[in-house]
Amino acid sequence: MRFDVIIIGGGRAGTEIGAALQKSGINCLIVAEGLSINPSKRTEFAACGGTLLPGDSVVGGGFDGAVLKNVRTENLVGTVLEADFFVLATGKFFSGGLASTMDGIYEPVFGCDVQYEPDREKWVNPDFYADQPFERFGVVTDDYGRVSVNGVTIDNLYAAGEILAGAVDIDGSAALVTTQIMRRK
Amino acid sequence: MKEYDVIIIGGGITGVGTARDCALRGLKTLLVERFDLTNGATGRNHGLLHSGARYAVTDRDSAAECIRENKILKRIASNCVEETEGLFITLPEDDPAYQDKFIRSCREAGINAKAIDPVEALRMEPSVNPTLTGAVKVPDASVDPFRLASANALDASIHGAEILTYHTVVAFVKEGGRVVGVKLRDSRSGEESEVRASVTVNAAGIWGQKIAAMAGAEIRMLPAKGSLLVFGHRVNRMVINRCRKPANADILVPGDVVCVVGTTSDKVPFEECDDMRVTAAEVKLLLEEGCKLAPSLADTRILRAYAGVRPLVAADDDPTGRSTSRGIVLLDHERRDGIPGFISITGGKLTSYRLMGELATDLICKKLNVNKPCRTAQLPLPGSEKKLNPAKRDALAFKAAEGRHGTGILRMDFAGKSEVLCECEHVTRAEIAYAVKYLDVNNLVDLRRRTRIGMGTCQGTFCMGKVAKALAEELGCPDREKEFLEQYARERWKGMAPVCWGDSLREAEYMRKLYRK
Repeated sequence: MRFDVIIIGGGRAGTEIGAALQKSGINCLIVAEGLSINPSKRTEFAACGGTLLPGDSVVGGGFDGAVLKNVRTENLVGTVLEADFFVLATGKFFSGGLASTMDGIYEPVFGCDVQYEPDREKWVNPDFYADQPFERFGVVTDDYGRVSVNGVTIDNLYAAGEILAGAVDIDGSAALVTTQIMRRK
Repeated sequence: MKEYDVIIIGGGITGVGTARDCALRGLKTLLVERFDLTNGATGRNHGLLHSGARYAVTDRDSAAECIRENKILKRIASNCVEETEGLFITLPEDDPAYQDKFIRSCREAGINAKAIDPVEALRMEPSVNPTLTGAVKVPDASVDPFRLASANALDASIHGAEILTYHTVVAFVKEGGRVVGVKLRDSRSGEESEVRASVTVNAAGIWGQKIAAMAGAEIRMLPAKGSLLVFGHRVNRMVINRCRKPANADILVPGDVVCVVGTTSDKVPFEECDDMRVTAAEVKLLLEEGCKLAPSLADTRILRAYAGVRPLVAADDDPTGRSTSRGIVLLDHERRDGIPGFISITGGKLTSYRLMGELATDLICKKLNVNKPCRTAQLPLPGSEKKLNPAKRDALAFKAAEGRHGTGILRMDFAGKSEVLCECEHVTRAEIAYAVKYLDVNNLVDLRRRTRIGMGTCQGTFCMGKVAKALAEELGCPDREKEFLEQYARERWKGMAPVCWGDSLREAEYMRKLYRK
């Protein structure tokens, strides 16, 4: 099955990007695992012709060098979902966009490069109400919003929303990715 | 100025146990505690009711003392004790000859220790390390120290004692060298007052060195930090110990719906005793050693890490302070230091708290010329008088409350207050109202210690908002809701921060989203 763009994550960033692209005639699929705080955004995306795959999650992708060709999901066993562009918008720890062990932080779907503090004692601030360092951990992107794996930029895989390292800017990162994909499409 | 027969300093298990004994013998008793009951080592340990087996080889007297008290507490504090029994397992890396010596020593101390086949041990305790080469069954048990302390404090109050939490001793009142009372400061308002008594008892745990110094006596204590991890569910039925010389992280104790592994043992400076933090290295060690007891711990979510300080006392005849005892230390400062009216009760362990109270009260009675026998070994604690028939009310929350408060549930009024506020531990509004009325609750952290509210898998993430509101209403101070919530969130964070990875980090992120300012 083929789409122009596959967006992984049906939260605010994913649905914003999906709705904007779909309205410009770019055919999108959103794989939306779990519940959304604002489900009306998912409805809006579907209403303008986008394809929503709820309750499913992406388990891995097929790469050709620095290009992501397709992804597989947990429920659609044997189905390969292809696209020209992919967006990773799976959020931080709670939603599963980032995962951690005692020894480190990682991005579980593609193994994207993640920025974090290697010393685990520095992941948290002892004051609950202070800024918590772990909330700034996330995947790193280039100036165009593209992620890298093992230091190699993936040409057509973007990231947006809370999964990004640094201060959270959901709308800004979603706008950047939307613009980039529109420009290249 | 108020006058008492006895003032007890310290609201740990030793203090409340002594207060109960004094009150039962008819003494006019005041207990003062600078924070909340069980704020020190009493609330920061395994919750293990020792059979004494752990000390059988190294300290025969302590072992014999433990098994006597173990049997007494199973009787008088049945509602606080769960008779899980314990295993001492031998692993391939342990000295195989130790087990025989261990069993012999246990029997000599009066502890019923029985060797069982490893296959049988695995059947009895499926979580145990399957590579075990030997196992011994002993009468270890699980005890809830919060509940035990609370029941002692409640019984002391029922028999006329006054319990004054959040009051710090700032000075001793002396007359001609004799201690005749103490100056107190209300830890919250700062207001100072003076109370007087014929005998003042130092039962302040590791802080006892400072209290003694304030009275002019020297006790050398060695703060030994013990760190523990509490897991998100109960993997084991029985207490699991290693059959070898006592070492780090070699006991796994089941308690309620969780289990606890510990401890480490490191000397720490006195300045750290008020704010113990568990380090990443300690967490790693606890987890590694814990997995040798029960391998499934590796995949079990850790709820929190915490640490307590053992009040180890240096022997009086050892100027280096290196020689310490785990035994009970009762000091008559009149004979020892020429300070009449002042005694210290320290050392010991949770399992022997009742005996510590008895010994201290015997000495107090002698000083006061009171001739009344100790009855704490015979009279059941409030809540443990009898088993109720739970079939009459089958709601889970009712059963949970009965489990925590025993017959105390008869004083709970569920009418209009049956709403469950903490879903992990099934705490209702009625139980909160009961705790406020009978169990000296001043804030949400105190309430946690009395009811287990927020101690479950969500660590208060889902309930603390609504519980803060309910508590503020029950206490009649609705304007303090936010203050309760903040204090509680900070306290929970202290235990969560050292184990923030995996699912605990997910929970932490969620908690921050809900409660950050």
